[in-house]
Amino acid sequence: MLSNFKLLNHMKIEIKNFGDKLVSRPAGREAFLALESYQLKGLSENEPIEIDFAGIKALTPSWADEVVTKIAERFKNVKLLNADSMTVQATLKTLREYSNLKI
Amino acid sequence: METNLKNLALKWLVAEPEKAQIASEYYCQTRDVFEARNNKVPDELIQKGMDDDLAYLIYSMLGEIGNNSFDHNLANWPNIPGVFFAVEYDGKIGRAIIADRGLGVLNTLRKAVPDLENDEEALELAFTKKISSRVFENRGNGLKFVKNNIAANNLLLEFSSGDAQVVINHNMNKNKLENRVDGCLVILNF
Repeated sequence: MLSNFKLLNHMKIEIKNFGDKLVSRPAGREAFLALESYQLKGLSENEPIEIDFAGIKALTPSWADEVVTKIAERFKNVKLLNADSMTVQATLKTLREYSNLKI
Repeated sequence: METNLKNLALKWLVAEPEKAQIASEYYCQTRDVFEARNNKVPDELIQKGMDDDLAYLIYSMLGEIGNNSFDHNLANWPNIPGVFFAVEYDGKIGRAIIADRGLGVLNTLRKAVPDLENDEEALELAFTKKISSRVFENRGNGLKFVKNNIAANNLLLEFSSGDAQVVINHNMNKNKLENRVDGCLVILNF
């Protein structure tokens, strides 16, 4: 069961619910479709969103571009949690440099 | 370090379609097969003593390179679909090879940048500028991710396509190939 949850006034998205090794663009697209259909459905652009990378072993720009970049484009108040691992850091650096990711 | 793998990949790349043969252990006809095999790579590297962070980073880089072959050639493979994929590591040095008989970087990027003149220009563009040839998809940063991580982790990448090759470590050097590679041949040394 997905444990992404909404507490008080923010939505927390636990990326590990999609797996701990997240690589391909098609898989990222699937993940975003699932988020759009459930967790993100009906939320206003001002809704605070937390993206939690705890437990992620590998992440690529292709996967993250389909999820993180799209969430950041849609919502104004997005916060990243537990984004310390090497591949998460390297992926976010690439997205900030080449995909105009602002968070 | 085993050099036969590179020779095997090259032989498969340049063979006539009807004569191209590849051992099943190295052949990934579809993305699913490639991903299933790549998923085993980090554990194999870690078991032989590699630091976890580097093992998962190499896995991520190979994922970007291999998935590129499928992203850009899906339903357009000139003759044989899929990639050659092999990884070897002796606990000190290692090498991963991904090769495809696809359209190649120049033909792929020309869809987005029609005035690209040659393979060398296409490779330089692929590694240094934001671009994607996929219609409706203004993305294309996987190879920049690969390039950034090579410099940061003292790795070495050889990427050949058409009659051009780039060799990347802390710098990016371009070479002209004597023997063309139709498709791509990528070797990551670590």
